[in-house]
Amino acid sequence: MTAQGQIYQGKQLVQADALANVDAVVPGEPFLVGVRLKMQPHWHTYWKYPGDAGIPTDIKWELPEGWRVGGIQWPIPLKLQEPGDIQIYGYHDAVLLIQQVAPAKNSTNSTVKLSAKVNWLVCEKICIPGDAVLTLSLPSAATNSPANTDLFTRFQKQLPGSPAANFSASWKSDAAGLVLNVTQLELAKFPSVDFFPSPPENVAVGHPRLESHEGANYTFRIPLDNAKQNFKSLPGLIVFGSATDAPDRNAWEVSIGSEMVASNENSTARDVLRFLVFGFIGGFILNLMPCVLPVISLKIFGFVQQAGQSRARIFRSGLAFIAGIFAWFLGLALVLVIIKSAGGQPVWAAQFTNPYFVLFMSTIVFVFALNLFGVFEINLPQWLSRRAVAAEGSVHGDAGSFFQGVFATVLATPCTAPFLGTALGFAFTQSATVILLMFGSIALGMSAPYFLLSAQPAWLKFLPKPGPWMVRVKQLMGFLLIATLLFLLSVLGAQRGVASLIWTCAFLLVLSVACWMKGAFLTPLASAKTRGLVLLLMLLLTIGGGYYFIGDKFQSAAAVANPTASGGGWEKFTPERLASELQQGHSVFIDFTAEWCITCKFNESTVLETAAVQAAFSERQIVKLKADWTNGDPAITKLLKQFGRPGVPLYVLYPGGTAQPFVFPELLTKNTVLEKLETINRTVASQ
Amino acid sequence: MKTLLLALSSLVATTLFAADSPPVGAAAPDFSLPDASGKAQSLSQYKGKYVVLEWFNPECPFVKKHYGGGNMQKLQREYTDKGVVWLTIDSNAPGYEGNLSPEQAQKVMKDWNTKQTALLLDPEGKAGRIYNARNTPHMFVINPEGKIIYEGAIDSKASPNPADIPSSTNYVKVALDESMSGKPVSNANTRPYGCSVKYK
Repeated sequence: MTAQGQIYQGKQLVQADALANVDAVVPGEPFLVGVRLKMQPHWHTYWKYPGDAGIPTDIKWELPEGWRVGGIQWPIPLKLQEPGDIQIYGYHDAVLLIQQVAPAKNSTNSTVKLSAKVNWLVCEKICIPGDAVLTLSLPSAATNSPANTDLFTRFQKQLPGSPAANFSASWKSDAAGLVLNVTQLELAKFPSVDFFPSPPENVAVGHPRLESHEGANYTFRIPLDNAKQNFKSLPGLIVFGSATDAPDRNAWEVSIGSEMVASNENSTARDVLRFLVFGFIGGFILNLMPCVLPVISLKIFGFVQQAGQSRARIFRSGLAFIAGIFAWFLGLALVLVIIKSAGGQPVWAAQFTNPYFVLFMSTIVFVFALNLFGVFEINLPQWLSRRAVAAEGSVHGDAGSFFQGVFATVLATPCTAPFLGTALGFAFTQSATVILLMFGSIALGMSAPYFLLSAQPAWLKFLPKPGPWMVRVKQLMGFLLIATLLFLLSVLGAQRGVASLIWTCAFLLVLSVACWMKGAFLTPLASAKTRGLVLLLMLLLTIGGGYYFIGDKFQSAAAVANPTASGGGWEKFTPERLASELQQGHSVFIDFTAEWCITCKFNESTVLETAAVQAAFSERQIVKLKADWTNGDPAITKLLKQFGRPGVPLYVLYPGGTAQPFVFPELLTKNTVLEKLETINRTVASQ
Repeated sequence: MKTLLLALSSLVATTLFAADSPPVGAAAPDFSLPDASGKAQSLSQYKGKYVVLEWFNPECPFVKKHYGGGNMQKLQREYTDKGVVWLTIDSNAPGYEGNLSPEQAQKVMKDWNTKQTALLLDPEGKAGRIYNARNTPHMFVINPEGKIIYEGAIDSKASPNPADIPSSTNYVKVALDESMSGKPVSNANTRPYGCSVKYK
C-alpha cells in the first residue's frame, strides 16, 4: 500500500509504504513489519536521535486486540553535515523501519488488517513534515512463507549489532562532558571509527569527537550541554567502516552500565586512589563474608594457640599469615595480568565456575577437616624441621600460618563484597601495575585485622587461655569445615549432577583412608621400611582413586545444562530472549546468580522470592530472567562485563522501551527493589 | 604531576569544545544587529531586563506551528507587557529558505501580527554562531544580570503539529515565570527542536 507523501515543486518528496516479511499471519507466531520511506535524491529523514535539528520518524501501529508490536529497529544512519557546524543523523534515498509484531495466539479473522500512522520530517535545504496512514492486509493461515525477503535482508544488514567478543567500553565524566573509551582488536582495521550518540529524549549533547586513537583503542569526547544533568554514560553506536558514510559500514550498540567504569589511560590518580580504598575496605569485608566464616574460626583458633607464645613469635606468625594472603592475591593478580595480555576474559570468582577447581577445593577442605579431627598430624619434612630448629624459630608455625593465609583467601574469592565488585570491575580495565596495586590493597584490607592482632598481642588476651579444651574446639572446627565441604559439594552437584557427587565422595573416601594410614603408621617412630611401604600404599590409593574416580567417572559426568530449575516464574536468560522481550517493549528484570554465590542466595531468599516483591513483579508484568553463571556461561560473562561487573551477584532492571537499564546494588533490600519497581509504568507492558 | 596535566588538558578541552551554546549560567554574549526597520539593536542596551532570544525562519514548519495558531504571538505579547525584551533573530543566509530582506521582514511581522520587541536580521549568522543557534525555533532566556537562564526548545513536544501545543509544557514561559518570582529555573536546558538554521 503506497500512500501519497507531500508534494514539493511538483515532486513527491517521500513515498511511504508498509510491508511484512511473511505472506500470511500464523496466530501466535511473531513476524516483521516495515515502513519504507523512499525519498527524493538529496532529501533525508531522521534517525531516532536526529542530531542538531529535525525529528525522528514516528510510527504508530494499530493492531487487532491482543497483538503486540516492538520498538523500531533503526538502521545505522548517515552523519550529515550542514553549514554552521550543524550535524544531523538521518537517511538518504530509502529506509525500511522494521518492527516485530506478535499476533495473538487465538486470532480468528480470515484476513487481518494492520495500519500504521506515520509522521516524518523530510529535509533538504528546507524541511517539510509529512504523514501517512499505511495499511497492510494479510491472510490468516496455519502456515506461511517469507515475503519481501531481499528488502528485509538488505535493511537488516544495516542494523547495528551487539559488540564482538572482547569489546570493552568505559565512561568517564568531567566538567566538559563525557569521555568514552572503546577497545576491540577488530577496530584497528577500519579507517573510520565514529560514535553516534542516542541520548534520552530532551537531552542535548554536543558533537562527539574522536579525541585520540591508538591501535584498537579509541577515545571519544561528547560535550554535554547541561552540566547539571549528571549523566555518566550515553547509549549509542560505534560505527566503523572504510569511511564515515561508506556502504560497508557496520555498527555495535554501546549499551550503558549505570556504574561509571573509569578507563585505563584517563583514570586520574584520584580515581586509582579511590578504588584502592574500595579494594582495602572490600578486602577487610572479605573476612566477614559467609564463605570465609568457617575459616575465620580456624584463624581465631590459630591466634588462641599462639596466645601463650612469645610476642615476637606471634608477630612473626601474623606476618606469615599476612604473607600468605598477599601471596594468593598477588599470584591471582599475576595470573590475571597474564590472561589479560593473552586476550582472555578473566572474571572474578571464575575459578568457581570450573568444576575441577571446586573439586580441588573440596579435597583440601576435607583433608583439613580430617586433620582437625585428629586423624593425622601435619609434620614438615625432616630437613625442613631440622633447619627450623637450627633457626631457633618455629618454621612449622610460620609455614602453617602462611598456608592458612593462602587458604583463607582462596575460600573468600566467590564472595564479591559490594565494594570489591566496583573496585575489581575497575581493575579489569586497568594496566598490569594497577591490577597488582589493586589486589595488593585487597590483600592489605583482608590482613589488616591480623596485623593489628599480632602486633598488639595484648588484645589477644581477650581470647580464652589455651588448654585441653582446645582439642575439642579443634574437632568442632572440623565440623565447620565439613559444612564448608557440603557447600562446595552442592556447587559441584549443581554443575555436574548427582553422579559426579558420588564419584567425588568416593575419591574423598579413598583419600581419607590414605590420611588415616598416615596418622596411624607414619609416626616419627616408624621404621624406614614401614615408612616406605605406607607411603607407597598412600600414593597408590590417592593416585589410583584419583585416576579411577576423578579421571574416569567424574570426567564422564556431563555438565548439567540448566543448572538451576527455574521455579517461581523465573525463566532462563539468553541474550536472544532479552533482546526479544525488549523489542516487544516489555520490562525485564535479570537476576545474575550462581549456585556457589552465597550473597546471591541470600538476596534471593530474603528479597526476590518474598511475596511482596513477587507480587510487584507480576502486577507490573515484568519478565523475570535468571542468568545462572554456575558453569561460567560466556554469554553471561560478556553481559556482566558490559555492566562493569567481574562477577555475580548483579541485578538489572530494563524498564522497557528505550529507557536505560537500572543496576541495583549488590546487597538488595526489599525497599530498594519495591521502590524501583514502583517507577515502572503499569501500562508499559500492555501498550 | 600527572593529575596536574590531566586537569590542564581537560581545561583546554573545555575551551576547545565550547562550540556548543554558551552554557546556562554563563554571561550572554553581546551582539549588535539591524532590525527590520534598519535600526541597530544590541543585547547590551537591554541590560537590567529579561531578554528572550528566538531564532526564526518563517518558512520552517516548526516555526509555523507556533505562529500559525497565534501561540508565539500570545507569548510575545504576554511577556513584553511584563517588560520582557523579545528579540526574534533570523540567521538564515541569503539564497536559503527563510532569509529575509528588511522589507520581507516587515511584511512577515505585519501579516503574522507578531508582538516581539524587534525582529533582527543576521544574514551573516554572526549572532547565530556565537550562540550556536542550531534550530528554528531555538530559544534563550537572559536574566536582568545578563546571564543565560534557559537554553533549548520552545516546548516539550518536538513535533511540527500545532495540535500538540495545548498538551505541551512551554519551557520559555516556565523559565520566565520561575525566574521572575525569584525561583531557580527548574528545567534550564532542553534539546531544541525544529529546522536547522540555514547558515552560509
